[in-house]
Amino acid sequence: MLLGAVTALVLAVLVVAPLAGLVATTLRPDGLTAWGDVVASPLSRNLFYEPLTNSLVIGFATAAGSMLLGGGLAWLVVMTDVRFKKTIGLLAAIPFALPSFALALAWETVFRNDRIGGRVGLLHGMGLDIPDWLAWGALPISATLIAHYYSLTFVLVAAALAGVKGDLLEAGEVAGASRARVAVSIALPVVMPALVSSALLAFAEGVSNFASPALLGLPVRYQTLSTRLYGSISTGQVERGYVLSLLLIAVAAIVLFLSTRLVGGRRSYATITGKGGRRRTLELGRYRPAATGVALTAVALTTVLPAAVLLLSSFARRTNSFTDGFTLHFWTGASDPAFAQGQRGVLRNPQVIEAAATTVLLGLAVAAAATVLGLAVGYVVTRLRGAPLVTQALTLLSFLPFLIPGIALGAAFIAQFGRPIGPLPALYGTFAILVIAGAAYTLPFAAQSGRTSVGQISGELEESAVMAGAGMTRRLGRIVVPLAARGLLAGGVLVFVKMVRDLSLVVLLVTPATPLLSVVTYRYASEGFAQFANAITVIIAAISVGATVLARRLQGAAQPWVER
Amino acid sequence: MPRTRMALIVATPLALALTACGGGTPDSAEPAAPATADALDDASADELYEQAQEEGSVVVYSFTSRIAEVETAFEAAYPGVDLIGNDISATEQIARIKAEAQAGTPGADVAYLSDAPVVLTELVEAGLLHGYVPPRLDDTVPDRYREPLLAQRLSTKVLMYNEDAHPDGPPVGNLWELTQPEWTGRVVMVDPAVRGDYLDLATELTLRSDDMAAAYQELTGTELELDDGVPDAGSQWLKDLYENDVVLVDDTDNVNAAVGQIGQDAPPVGFTSYSDRRDNADEGWALQVATDVAPANGIAFPALLGIVDGAEHPAAARLLIDFLMGDDTETGGAGFEPFYVAGDYPVRTDVVPPADAVALDDLGAWIIDPAAVAERRAEVADFLLTLG
Repeated sequence: MLLGAVTALVLAVLVVAPLAGLVATTLRPDGLTAWGDVVASPLSRNLFYEPLTNSLVIGFATAAGSMLLGGGLAWLVVMTDVRFKKTIGLLAAIPFALPSFALALAWETVFRNDRIGGRVGLLHGMGLDIPDWLAWGALPISATLIAHYYSLTFVLVAAALAGVKGDLLEAGEVAGASRARVAVSIALPVVMPALVSSALLAFAEGVSNFASPALLGLPVRYQTLSTRLYGSISTGQVERGYVLSLLLIAVAAIVLFLSTRLVGGRRSYATITGKGGRRRTLELGRYRPAATGVALTAVALTTVLPAAVLLLSSFARRTNSFTDGFTLHFWTGASDPAFAQGQRGVLRNPQVIEAAATTVLLGLAVAAAATVLGLAVGYVVTRLRGAPLVTQALTLLSFLPFLIPGIALGAAFIAQFGRPIGPLPALYGTFAILVIAGAAYTLPFAAQSGRTSVGQISGELEESAVMAGAGMTRRLGRIVVPLAARGLLAGGVLVFVKMVRDLSLVVLLVTPATPLLSVVTYRYASEGFAQFANAITVIIAAISVGATVLARRLQGAAQPWVER
Repeated sequence: MPRTRMALIVATPLALALTACGGGTPDSAEPAAPATADALDDASADELYEQAQEEGSVVVYSFTSRIAEVETAFEAAYPGVDLIGNDISATEQIARIKAEAQAGTPGADVAYLSDAPVVLTELVEAGLLHGYVPPRLDDTVPDRYREPLLAQRLSTKVLMYNEDAHPDGPPVGNLWELTQPEWTGRVVMVDPAVRGDYLDLATELTLRSDDMAAAYQELTGTELELDDGVPDAGSQWLKDLYENDVVLVDDTDNVNAAVGQIGQDAPPVGFTSYSDRRDNADEGWALQVATDVAPANGIAFPALLGIVDGAEHPAAARLLIDFLMGDDTETGGAGFEPFYVAGDYPVRTDVVPPADAVALDDLGAWIIDPAAVAERRAEVADFLLTLG
C-alpha cells in the first residue's frame, strides 16, 4: 500500500528531520554540557526538576479539567435534552479561538492582588484580601488553561459522540441498564479515543503554553518548563533550551504511550457501521434546569468574559485598564502626535487589511494540507493493525510537533528548504514554506482528529466496497472521507485557529511579501503599543471565531443524517 | 497486509537518508565576503548610492518597528533604492541568520538588533555578521561604540520610581537599600532568566563588584561579607535582592505599570527603560528615573548595526547603515529621527541628546562592555538559577 509509505516519508521530512536537527545540536560539545547542566548539576533542581513538576501538574490538571468540562458539555449537548443546545454548543467551541493571554488577563482583572503593585483586580479593589495562591501560580494557570483548552475536548468529543447511534444505547437500555449506566458503560467507552486524544492535546498545549505561566506564574517565581525553555533560548543558551524541549518531548511520549495502553484494551472503536439507526436523546428530567444552568455558566465564564476583556482592552485608553475611559483611537483614529506617539488606528493601516487576507489564506491552506495528512495518518494507523510498531511510530511522530519550539522548527525548515532540493526550487521566502511548516506544526490536531474519526468507521463498510471492486481512492473518496467529515472538519478548524494566531513559527519564515496578522501584533507589542496589539488580536480572534462557527455549520451540512 | 509492511520497511531508510541532509544546525560559516567589500568600506555615501542604485534594494532585519519610518525617509533620500524592512526580535534574528547561513541563502543585508553579548558570540565570532563604520564618522563615534559592531544608540535598564508618591526625589540612594526590609516585596523587575537585557544588568552588577562592595560599606559602615558559594559583591546583592522577595514579571510593560501607576500609597520601584517615561501621559504613570544612586542605577546598552555575511546588496547595506547613523544636523536628521527619543542616547558626540531627559553623564548608569558581559553572562545566569 503506497499510502503508508508516502505518509511515513512525509512525516520523516516534516517531523523527523527537524527533530533530528534538534537532537544533533544537543550532541555537539556545547549541547552535551547542556545535558549535564539540565539533568545532573547543582542547577538541575531549579532549571529542570521543579519546572518539570510544575509543568506536569499543570499539564495533567489541564488535561483532566478539559476532559471533565469539555467532555461533559459535549455529552450534554449531543446526547441529552439540555436546553439552549445550539448556544452552548457554539459558545463551548469558542474559547480555543481566543488567545490564552485574554484568559489570563480576565483572571487578573478579577483576582489580581497587590503582589506586583500597580492596578489590582476587582475583588481586591472591593477590599477583599486575595491570597497569592488564588492570584498567582498553579491554580490560576491551570484554571485559565482549562478555560482555554476544554473547547478542544468539546469539539473532538462532540464530533465523536455524533457518530454514536441509538442502537448501541438502546441495546443497553433494553438490557435494563440505568441511564447513568448507559452513559458511563456505553457512551463513554465508545468516545474514549476522542476523549483521550483531546486530553493528550490539552496536556501538550498545557505544558507548552508560555503566556499563562509567564503572566501568572513568574510573580511568585512559579517556573514551568515552558518559561525555562523560552528563557534559555532568549538569553542565548540555545542548547539548554533544546535539551529542555527534548525532555519535554520525552515526557509527552511517555504520557502518550501510557494513554494508548489505557485505550489499547479495546481493539476497535468502530461505531459507524453499515446498519442504520437514529440517535436518541437522553431525557434529563428534573436535572434539566440544573444541567442547563451549569453548562451555560461554564461557557459564559470562559467565552463571554475573556472575549469582553479582550475587546475592552483594545478600547481602553490606558493599557489593560477598564476604569480610565475608552477610545476608538486604536481602531479608527487618525495620526495624532499627542497620543500614542502618533500611531494611527489599526483599521487605517493598509498593512492590516493585507495581512488579514494573507493570514486567512495561510490558515485555509495549512488546514487543508494538515487535514489531508491527518486523514492519511489516521487511515494508516487504524487500518494497519498488523504492524504495531509502525502505527505507534506514526502516532508518536504526529503527536510531537508542537512540542518542538516554534523557533527551532522554523530554523530547521529554513535550513532544509533554503536551498534547492534536486529538481525542487528553494522554497524559503515563499508562501509554500509557510504552508509546509504550518502543516508540520499543527499536525497533532489533524492527526488526532483523523485517527479518532477514521477509527469510528467500521472496516466492514470498506470490505463490502472492496468486494464491489472499488479501488482505494474510490473507497477513501466515497466512504471514509464522507463518514469522517465531521471529525476532520473539527480537526481542520483547530488547525486553522492555531495557525492564524501562532507567531513563534511564522516569524522566522515570513518575508514582507507575506505579511501576517500575528507578526503585526508582535510589531505593535514590541514597541509597547499594547492596545494596538490587542486590537489586532481581536481581529485574529474574530477570524478564528468566524471559522469555528462556519465549521459547525459545515459539519451539519456535511453529515445531515446525524442532525435531527 | 504484508505488502504494506514491506513498503514501509523500504520507505523508512529512504526517509532517514533524506533527513540526514536536512537536519543539524550550522557549525560555522564560510567567511566568504565579496572581494569588493573592503573598497566599499572606504567609499563615500555618494559612491555607495551610485552602486546601490544598481543593486536596487536593501533588506534589513530590525528589532524595532520604527524601521517603517526609516523606510519612508530612506527612500525619499535615495530614490531608486527600495528598503525592505522585517520586524524580528533579536532572539529570532539570531536564529534566522544562523539558519539562513546554513542553507547558504542570506535573507537580509543589514541586521539592526540588541542583545549585544549574544550577537557577539553567536554571530560576529562565527563570521555571520560583519562590522561597518561609515568613514565620515571616524571622529564622532568613540572607539567603544565602533568595535566589533557599530552601535547606533544606547538604551537603558535603570531604576525608576513613582514621582507622584515621591515628589521630593528618588526614595532610594543606594542599591543596597533594595535588599533591606523597607523594600521587601517592593522591587519589580523582569525575570533575568527570561529576558537578555535584564541578564545583562545582572551581569554588569557582578562585573562592578568593587563598586558594589564600596557602596555597601558606604551605606552600612561595615565591610561586606560574602555568603558561602557567592563569588562576588554583585552576586551577593542579587542573592540578597532575591531573598528580599524581589517580584519578577515577564515584561517591561508590567514593571512600568506596577511602578508608575498614579495613586498608589506605597508603590514599588523597578528596573525598566528610561525612555518608557514618554508614555507617562498616555498611560497615567508617574515614572521617573532614580539618579544619584550609589554605585549606579542600572545599565545603558547598545543597539547594534551589522552587515550580514554574503549580503546580496553590499553597497546599499552600507548606505543604509550610514543613513541610520544620522546626518550632519545636530539631531541627526531624518535617518535618526525615529530614534531621537528622550531616554535613549545617540552615540555620536556631535548629535545633541534629546531634551527632557537627563544627560547620559548625569544619569549614573553603567555603560556595558558587551564583550566583557558576554564572557561572564552564562555564569551569572547559572548563579541566578541557584537562587530559584
